[in-house]
Amino acid sequence: MTMHEVEENPLDVYLRADRMPHIWCSGCGLGIVTGAFIRAIQKSKVDPKLVSVVAGIGCTGRIPGYLNFDTFHTTHGRAIPFAIGLKIAKPELHVFVISGDGDLFAIGGNHIIHAARRNVNITVICVNNFNYGMTGGQVGPTTPEDARTTTTPYGNIEPAFNLPYVMASAGAVYVARWTTLQPRKILDSILEAMQKDGFSFIEIISPCPTAYGRRNAQRDAMETMKFYQYKTKVKNGADPKEGDISLTGEILTGKFVDIQKTTYMDRVKMLIDKANKKGA
Amino acid sequence: MATTYIIKDDEKTRKWKTPHGELYIIKDRCKGCGFCIEFCPKKVLVESKEFNAKGYHPPELQEDETKKCINCGFCAMICPEFAIFSEADAQSKDVGQIPEKEIPIPESPKIPEIKKARDVLTGEHFWNGDVAAAEGAIAAGCKFFAGYPITPSTEVAEHIAERMPQIGGVYVQMEDEIASIAAVLGAAWAGVKAMTATSGPGFSLMQENIGLGAMTETPCLIINVQRGGPSTGLPTLVAQSDVMQAKWGTHGDHEIIALAPNSPQECFDLTIECFNLAYKYRTPVVLLMDESVGHMTERVVVPEKSKIKLVDRKKPKGEPGKVKIYEADEDLVPPMPYAGEGYNIHMTGLTHDERGYPSTIAETQERMIKRICDKIRVHADEIVRYEEFMTEDAEVVVVAYGITSRVVKRAVLMAREKGIKAGMLRLITIWPFPEKKVRELAKKVKNFLVVEINYGQIVLEVERCACPSKVSFLGKMGGAVHTPEEVLKKMMEVCK
Repeated sequence: MTMHEVEENPLDVYLRADRMPHIWCSGCGLGIVTGAFIRAIQKSKVDPKLVSVVAGIGCTGRIPGYLNFDTFHTTHGRAIPFAIGLKIAKPELHVFVISGDGDLFAIGGNHIIHAARRNVNITVICVNNFNYGMTGGQVGPTTPEDARTTTTPYGNIEPAFNLPYVMASAGAVYVARWTTLQPRKILDSILEAMQKDGFSFIEIISPCPTAYGRRNAQRDAMETMKFYQYKTKVKNGADPKEGDISLTGEILTGKFVDIQKTTYMDRVKMLIDKANKKGA
Repeated sequence: MATTYIIKDDEKTRKWKTPHGELYIIKDRCKGCGFCIEFCPKKVLVESKEFNAKGYHPPELQEDETKKCINCGFCAMICPEFAIFSEADAQSKDVGQIPEKEIPIPESPKIPEIKKARDVLTGEHFWNGDVAAAEGAIAAGCKFFAGYPITPSTEVAEHIAERMPQIGGVYVQMEDEIASIAAVLGAAWAGVKAMTATSGPGFSLMQENIGLGAMTETPCLIINVQRGGPSTGLPTLVAQSDVMQAKWGTHGDHEIIALAPNSPQECFDLTIECFNLAYKYRTPVVLLMDESVGHMTERVVVPEKSKIKLVDRKKPKGEPGKVKIYEADEDLVPPMPYAGEGYNIHMTGLTHDERGYPSTIAETQERMIKRICDKIRVHADEIVRYEEFMTEDAEVVVVAYGITSRVVKRAVLMAREKGIKAGMLRLITIWPFPEKKVRELAKKVKNFLVVEINYGQIVLEVERCACPSKVSFLGKMGGAVHTPEEVLKKMMEVCK
């Protein structure tokens, strides 16, 4: 084998290369999400100084630790309110929340629906692997019915959340869902979400071969990806109502909502103007 | 017209409406995941024999007439490393770069600066404790309030909701107390003085994030207007039963600063002091009011703006990119960078080293915990404040704080009339506990009496420090303040 000199990756500036290797299992989709995210930042040409990434707890919560921006690893489920504080106090920041489905929709469920209702200008990327990966694969709010996890040894009896539907009805101005088999779509979607003024939400369905896949007839990550290949249906503009995910059924992906509404920051500005006119 | 290809597959028929053109493979980008090969619908890609710069086998097209690439672009679409480009993606020959396109990113409207902001209402006012504390915060430069209404702290929120827009600040009513404190921490990292106000049950909900604030050394203010508990308890009645919660509510070893005012004037003054301490020591600070102080209306004198001394954060001196955000100076307090200044902060509640990187090494944990505790323990003398009343020749010293201290003052005067040599030690700083002062008093005073509106909390601290003196306790749980007669009676018992 001939020795090659490895060139420095142009994306290294966006990563804390001294923190590598990362802690994720082989076959995990989080690397794809991270890659797509930093490429989106690169492509958008926003000042990296003004990018802030907030996360909660879990495997996905570790993403900010590897990103070379201002990054915040908060308590379980509280990434969204932290991000709201950050954005409102310093509106010039581009605030992203990257966290898992358990973090954002179980313990943080209340926060995310209220953030969408307020239409705070942040972008939320929710990585959904259908279970609590870091704690060892317990059932979560997005685990499909009948799926086996460590805490549902006879199959899950609870219906799962349809995340895009929840977000669309809570008032998000941009809602999309992709799988990690569509990294370029993820990139485009993150770029689109950045261009939206308001609360934007992207769900990324990601394989968890270690904790979830192998308990549910997907022996390795490649099988999960194959499953995504055959079961994914891209339907932009579809009603997110149809987006329920079952154990073996189709996965509806695409951009579901893309609208414009008055944002929270606009309203804050209007309020301050109003209070001052009255005061004067 | 676009051609439609139909590919028969074992499991599913796929339709490709537009061919994507010729494929470009950037071999040195490949990390050998094999997705393109696995997912090629026509199975035309194979692993090449040669290595690329990274030491992987990049894909190449198979020269086989029966298997022909139909340029569906699926390999390009799924490559996580973006090493395959179809012609549509790369109009320019320079396929190594992601195609350039101007992307308009909207800028959020900035919060307008108010030119004639009336942030310090100099003069004399008739305010209750809650309002005075709210005004104190505004005078201290607080521009962000996130909270959730809870009796008896609501007046703080109500007053701030009215005042914040006048000074260009923001009041957000969050969905719960947990969100409130999380938003406060976020705003503090964005570089704005931030606070929240709550009461017992809300304070309990905030505890986890108060721990995050202590761990990540985030300066902020939490006002706790104490009410009776536990649980929903006595929403509209007084108690002083959160003093231990303020110190030990969150898990793990940490130190906290807590001050207890006893009048609306002090609510104003100590709120400013709380912000100063928070920024000086980079830590969350608790203002432990009680319901009676919060709802008591009195004269409050607001000084001129120039006379209010404010402490700001220590700024990092080094260049962005080289500063370790948790590297402390000699006083054990690290300078604080804010988000958006280019320091690439990593803030985490995990045990972290000076760079902010998570670590599970025992020494890192020990070094960090020691420092966040010691930065307050070492400076305890500067933080601690108390008030002595007739303690010079006292035979019995009554220890009290908050509203109780006003009752005790009266009881001490009544006792002196009866010939009992009584005195009072009023704690203004509750945490760190004024240990030194109590030990000093214990050398000359035989009897201590602790009066507080709970069933024994600060008395434990006094017992710890006042040894070998005798420590007695007079508690109250009915949601009312002690009467001076009650205190006097107990004092006489103690002195027998």
